[in-house]
Amino acid sequence: MKQTVKISDGKTFDVVVTLITVVIILIVLYPLIFVVSASLSDPARVINGEMFLWPVGFTLDAYAEIFKNSEIWTGYRNTIFYTVFGTIINIGLTTLAAYPLSRRDLPGRNVFMFLITFTMFFHGGLIPTYLIVQDLGMVDTIWAMVIPNAIATYNLIVMRTYFQTSIPWELQEAAMIDGCSNIKLLFKVILPLSKPIMAVMVLFYAVGHWNAFFNALIYLREETLYPLQLILREILLVNQLGGTDAAGQFGMDEKILLGQSIKYALVVVASVPVLIVYPFVQKHFVKGVMIGSIKG
Amino acid sequence: MSVTNSGLKEKKVTHRNKVLTKRQKMMKRLFMRFDLYLMLLIPIAWYAIFQYGPMYGLQIAFKDFNPAFGFAGSEWVGLENFERFFSSYYFERLLWNTFSISILSLLIAFPIPIFLALLINEIRSTTLKKTLQNVTYVPHFISVVVIVGMLDLFLDPNGGFINIILSSIGVEPIPFMEKPEWFKTIFIGSNIWQTMGWQSIIYVASLAGIDPQLYEAAKMDGASRLQRIMHVSLPGILPVIVIMLILDIGQFMNVGFEKILLMQNNLNLESSDVIQTFVYRNGILNGDYSYSAAIGLFNSLINFSLLILVNHYARKKAETSLW
Amino acid sequence: MRKHLGLILFIVLCTFLIAGCSGSKNVSEDYVSEGPSESFHEEGFPIVDDEITLNIFARKSPPNGPYNEMSMFNKYEEMTNINVEWDDVPQDGFAERKNLEFSSGDLPDVFYKSSISQLEAVKYGTSGILIPLEDLLENYAPNLTALFEEYPEIKSSITAPDGHIYALPAILTLNSARTDKIWVNQTWLDNLGLEQPTSPDELVEVLTAFRDDDPNGNGEQDEIPMTFRNWAQLMNSIIGSWGMIDQMGNHLMVESDEVKFWLTSDKFKEYLQFLNMLYSENLVDRGLFTQEESKFVGNMASGNVGIFWNQTTDAFDKVKQDYEGMSPIVGPYDDQLYPSAPVARDFGTFAITSVNQHPHETMRWIDYFFSEEGSIFFRYGAEGETFNYGDDGLPQYTDDVLNSDLGLGPAIGQFTPWPGGGAPQLVTERNASAINPPEAQDAQGKLDPYLPEAIYGAPIFDEDTTKEVDQIRQDMDQYYEETTSKFITGDLSFDQWEEYVSTIENMGLDRLQEIYQEAYDLNYK
Repeated sequence: MKQTVKISDGKTFDVVVTLITVVIILIVLYPLIFVVSASLSDPARVINGEMFLWPVGFTLDAYAEIFKNSEIWTGYRNTIFYTVFGTIINIGLTTLAAYPLSRRDLPGRNVFMFLITFTMFFHGGLIPTYLIVQDLGMVDTIWAMVIPNAIATYNLIVMRTYFQTSIPWELQEAAMIDGCSNIKLLFKVILPLSKPIMAVMVLFYAVGHWNAFFNALIYLREETLYPLQLILREILLVNQLGGTDAAGQFGMDEKILLGQSIKYALVVVASVPVLIVYPFVQKHFVKGVMIGSIKG
Repeated sequence: MSVTNSGLKEKKVTHRNKVLTKRQKMMKRLFMRFDLYLMLLIPIAWYAIFQYGPMYGLQIAFKDFNPAFGFAGSEWVGLENFERFFSSYYFERLLWNTFSISILSLLIAFPIPIFLALLINEIRSTTLKKTLQNVTYVPHFISVVVIVGMLDLFLDPNGGFINIILSSIGVEPIPFMEKPEWFKTIFIGSNIWQTMGWQSIIYVASLAGIDPQLYEAAKMDGASRLQRIMHVSLPGILPVIVIMLILDIGQFMNVGFEKILLMQNNLNLESSDVIQTFVYRNGILNGDYSYSAAIGLFNSLINFSLLILVNHYARKKAETSLW
Repeated sequence: MRKHLGLILFIVLCTFLIAGCSGSKNVSEDYVSEGPSESFHEEGFPIVDDEITLNIFARKSPPNGPYNEMSMFNKYEEMTNINVEWDDVPQDGFAERKNLEFSSGDLPDVFYKSSISQLEAVKYGTSGILIPLEDLLENYAPNLTALFEEYPEIKSSITAPDGHIYALPAILTLNSARTDKIWVNQTWLDNLGLEQPTSPDELVEVLTAFRDDDPNGNGEQDEIPMTFRNWAQLMNSIIGSWGMIDQMGNHLMVESDEVKFWLTSDKFKEYLQFLNMLYSENLVDRGLFTQEESKFVGNMASGNVGIFWNQTTDAFDKVKQDYEGMSPIVGPYDDQLYPSAPVARDFGTFAITSVNQHPHETMRWIDYFFSEEGSIFFRYGAEGETFNYGDDGLPQYTDDVLNSDLGLGPAIGQFTPWPGGGAPQLVTERNASAINPPEAQDAQGKLDPYLPEAIYGAPIFDEDTTKEVDQIRQDMDQYYEETTSKFITGDLSFDQWEEYVSTIENMGLDRLQEIYQEAYDLNYK
């Protein structure tokens, strides 16, 4: 009796789940297709609302305009480097902070937590931060791209939460009683059990580096160090013009129109690499880790 | 998030430790903490240099900052910058818009990624599951300029597809972007569209961390799928939900300022003008750093107070907290 | 947690204090220390015999190429023997970078095209970061001095209340460089057998015909009778026909030495009612409150607009044969004024800092660009390379520049920094063929009789007054913008006019009037 009820219950449940899924996919997908189509369309016709789903007045002008800019390849290279190198530093430092702070037997950890959280809300502002980075001699070096943002407090808190809630305290305790040092505990027990959160952290940090431009704007002078986003922003600005007076717009009319399709093309150019990488990261937290099996 | 159903557990711990000799216990504790502090050393140094180092910059909120005289040398003006803000004709409206957008976001936009994660967890077909995840993940990478550009096009009173649909069922075209009464709906709706996939990632990861044995056990007990969600999945990610909620409430006064600025126009200001856009117009554009800093500090104080409050409450009620 | 609170506060406080002390820095007081270097020439080129170097911080507008590759500057370097190390910063993030220059203790010798605001000029001038220029101007800048004498309002508008000049403006003596022309679709008028409108009634008649009678002959009512770039242009373009324009950078007129704000006047109400009528009758493009710049540019280029306002013809080059310039209409009270920007249009284009070891040389360096020869050199580059003289004796860009793949603005921006606006420059009828083609000259001819005698630039207040003005304007400007928009769209009925007037008055209109009157008396009377 019970068995049959459950099966039928599961069936309707699956139908409902599938239905909702399909609806969400369609709603989200439409604007995405729109972006791609708009990047391939005649900008004037997009502005006039003639495009709905597929490109109208097909043209590759926007992509040509972006890729004729030779700096863009340097930008890709720099961004990939900042992303990989920066994420390694991020993960290292965040783990070093998150693990001890997840330990309920660490005296004074609430004070640390408070002081760390405090920085999410109060910061000295641009000028004092710049002066410190300048004093450390990091201005106009790659270090300015990876050190001042070495830890994101938000991510640190997320990681610590995971350590605390998903890894049974009894397990850590048992290991310690077996004479396991904290370092060993971290590497042999905690990290293998934390693949999902590590995947999330890699994703959060890497995407953060990928999209970052402000530090580059402030700290970098040398154009060969510019990350992709900064170069893309310049291309967009040339083609869009940030609201100066009419006198500043002389001779820019073609560019302003092209700017419309460029802004769509830039989204495609900037995000495709991250989208390609995603499934590889994703599999780590879709499958997850069977804590049970390790324990068993 | 000291998961402090720990009163009991801690007793167990002390009990067990008593089995060891006192000397062993001391040694172990010292050693244990020694390397924990060692691990913390670099991160704490980083916080000291890059976060607390520049903190002196906060004082410009109470000064008339002039770079020529530096931070210490600028004239002290006390609360003048704050008073100027509080005495603005628009102060109440700014506060109300900021509050209402924040509260609506918390009520509507916060639960949706959780729902999405639970949904993803329940999909049996791997292809469908992956498709949903990948598709909802993409909008995170679309710049706000493009998002707002699309909103303009989709909602255009002449020829935007929403209005075409409306007119086909006999509704007069609505100039959505000009109407104050539509602003919040559009703003929050498009936010959900853009961020639900990205925000669900953390919940999906947490769901992956739930011990499968718990599901097996629930199944044995004859729990339906819905019951398993309610009794296994949700409690399993509850600590994460609580932490996310605390962090979100800590961002109460920060409401996607760049996007609002792009969506703003003279006609919808009534409901779209928030504290951050006001600062942008009157402080940042004018290069008035002290004024901007003062309003920023005001926001931070509210945010931080709320966080402390919620954190306190969460520790008591949900046994999960930041400290 | 609570027991640690004291400790935390203590730590935070300590960081505050320790760091606070290290945050100060010294400003050298001894600017213009020594005289010019020994090899300095007071006139002619080179400016110095022994090469000197200036570090110049400059804004790189979107159409500008890298400064150190601009052929005009490279040539000028050879002429003057002054070597320039450019720190050219892109527009994106420029404001932050400029502020860091001022704060990080690493000042450049010169701020160039850096949009120094009036507040910045006063603030950094009085605190010694920027040096006063008036003595240098008098002794080493014959061209600028001559311009100041010819247009006395320039000097008044750039002099700070302490009597010093801390920054130089761009000077536009060419009327056409300071106005938006009124462009009307003459082909449509001809198709419909109509004349250019000269009164509000005729304007309505013409616009109605544009809307209803299919002037483009495609069988559809898809014409846009009249459009504007944005709300501000809508407000400012026809208002002169009701006898009001902006003076001193605010909503006021000067009548017999008396400053009068007009934003609560009955005439202004009538003007708004007129706009409201145009809007509700669909005679003006309804998208103007929300549109992006590109939409407006697209509309102009499409040739499907009846009347619009734009400085020159570059944006609608392909359809420009359809359009002609028009005079402002005569308003209900026989007013026929037309607004224009002041001669000293862009403030703060050039400033010298206290670390500059060669202020005299620097002043001569910039002054040349304000001579006739120098201003042509600045805007057109080298003869034979980037320009040639045409039959009319005026400089014309070469075909390579005009037909460049980059587009006109960026093509010019490769060898001179003026595209993008805000550069220290002189624009006259002798050096503006690119922005002032014959069509624009004709259109300007129809505006010239209606320009006010003088347009006063926004005055420079001292720091305290600036604060007071900002305090009032942060509310008033926004209220004005928001409420007038709603009057125009009909979201607010004119029954609410009294409330609008009293709100504006309560926000401090009288005080503002007083401040501006004082500034007028001080600077312009």
